[in-house]
Amino acid sequence: MADDPTIGAMLDRHGVSRRTFIKYCTAMASVLALPPLVGRAIAEQLRVAQRPSVIYLSFQECTGCLESMTRSFSPTIESLIFNIISLDYDDTLMAAAGAQAEAAREKAMKDNYGKYIVVVDGSVPVADDGVYSCAGGRSAVDILTEAAKGAAAIVCVGTCSSFGGIPFADPNPTGARAVSDLIGNKPIINVSGCPPIPEVITLTLLQYVSTGKLPDLDEHLRPKVFFGNTIHDRCYRRPFYDEGKFAKSFDDEGARNGWCLFELGCKGPTTYNACATIKWNNGTSFPIESGHPCLGCSEPGFWDNGSFYSALATPHWGKAGEVRPADVAKLAGAAAALGAAVGVGSAMLARHRQKMTVGTPDTED
Amino acid sequence: MRSGLSAIPIRVEQQDATASTGTIGGGVTALLVEIASKLDRLADGDEPSAIDLRSMPMSPADREQLLKALGQGEVVITLQADGESTIRETSMHGVWWTEHFDRDGEMLAAFIEIARVPGILFVDPDELRNSARRLRASVTMALSLRPN
Repeated sequence: MADDPTIGAMLDRHGVSRRTFIKYCTAMASVLALPPLVGRAIAEQLRVAQRPSVIYLSFQECTGCLESMTRSFSPTIESLIFNIISLDYDDTLMAAAGAQAEAAREKAMKDNYGKYIVVVDGSVPVADDGVYSCAGGRSAVDILTEAAKGAAAIVCVGTCSSFGGIPFADPNPTGARAVSDLIGNKPIINVSGCPPIPEVITLTLLQYVSTGKLPDLDEHLRPKVFFGNTIHDRCYRRPFYDEGKFAKSFDDEGARNGWCLFELGCKGPTTYNACATIKWNNGTSFPIESGHPCLGCSEPGFWDNGSFYSALATPHWGKAGEVRPADVAKLAGAAAALGAAVGVGSAMLARHRQKMTVGTPDTED
Repeated sequence: MRSGLSAIPIRVEQQDATASTGTIGGGVTALLVEIASKLDRLADGDEPSAIDLRSMPMSPADREQLLKALGQGEVVITLQADGESTIRETSMHGVWWTEHFDRDGEMLAAFIEIARVPGILFVDPDELRNSARRLRASVTMALSLRPN
């Protein structure tokens, strides 16, 4: 990869005209619900910006996040957007392996000390001295601590690095932790999701590169621009919820009619993400559009929040005495969303049905 | 065809866009008033501005009404930049209706720009120098190939 001084120079070399780039950034701004001329300003800022060095660290993860991220650059200009960063280390994507790969990481950290961005994919196990995730004979926690020292910022890609994710699920045998549990003195952006939407990953990076500043973050350190609304708030099936039209089981009349999936366990009302607006696979659809309830994968502890198929507002059957304040706040939020009498009625119905079909879930788990 | 829904024998009830926004007029009038005030501000020396059409909860009927109120102007510009873009001046000078499409004809952005000339058309100094460099290179090439 040639070392272009600026992103603009790199784009010119690839034959991407300034107008094409402005157009791309305008489309991006539209996705981000920013005013159209802001897209043009972003394009101009990016063209004169330096390409930042990025070190991508994979720990306790399934590579689904990286799979998702690579889907963001189809053979259009989006592939070039990836060239806006200088990806100096990614043990899955890079050709080098072993000592050579680790040397590339060390060189990038040394050459760009204080300026590079660390992207973390996967949770960090700390039990038994971190032996459950090692590379090159070093533990994940060791590698992360070292990389974090010279980082300008850390971007956590996926629910595992953001909140612990599936490895964190009860009983968490490896002592999995989120990056924010371990690194306290660096700016952290969490891009949660299992996996996150590809465009959300790349646009978050892009936004940071173009402005050099952290975006507005919510209480879970997620960019508000993508995680500011619940799935439910932006769901195209929302009118059916408001009308009290619900699918009662998969493949019933309501499901075939495309009605609201609330009673089938949809976590849309308590899940903050951009699936309903940006959608997946180049804007094709998102889980609810394909007829499946939202699992709430971008929320902390989503794997331990009861069955994916039990409706919200049915009793939350975590372990006795293990009610976390965040859960209470979330349930309160859900209750507010349920303000409509019809919603409350259907929740009661769902609870009733849950008991009928699942038995006595309160004693489970 | 982006999704295969039509091939599957299911019936998806969609909200009728025209019906859901109710009677038309109010939103379009507000937009026209906003455009007029943006034109005034541009004339007074303010920066160009734009209104994102896709962020507006507009029904197809609203959109038609807005198009009709603005009318067709003198200039139509087509841009070939990783897919087609069209920029039409409306009959209101300085009000440009811009639509960007990707290579598959999927709409990427649609907005009304209030400007003397749409900003995307301007060429910046770096590009001018780049063009000069490329022209000189091709002249040099042509001269070196000319038989003596």
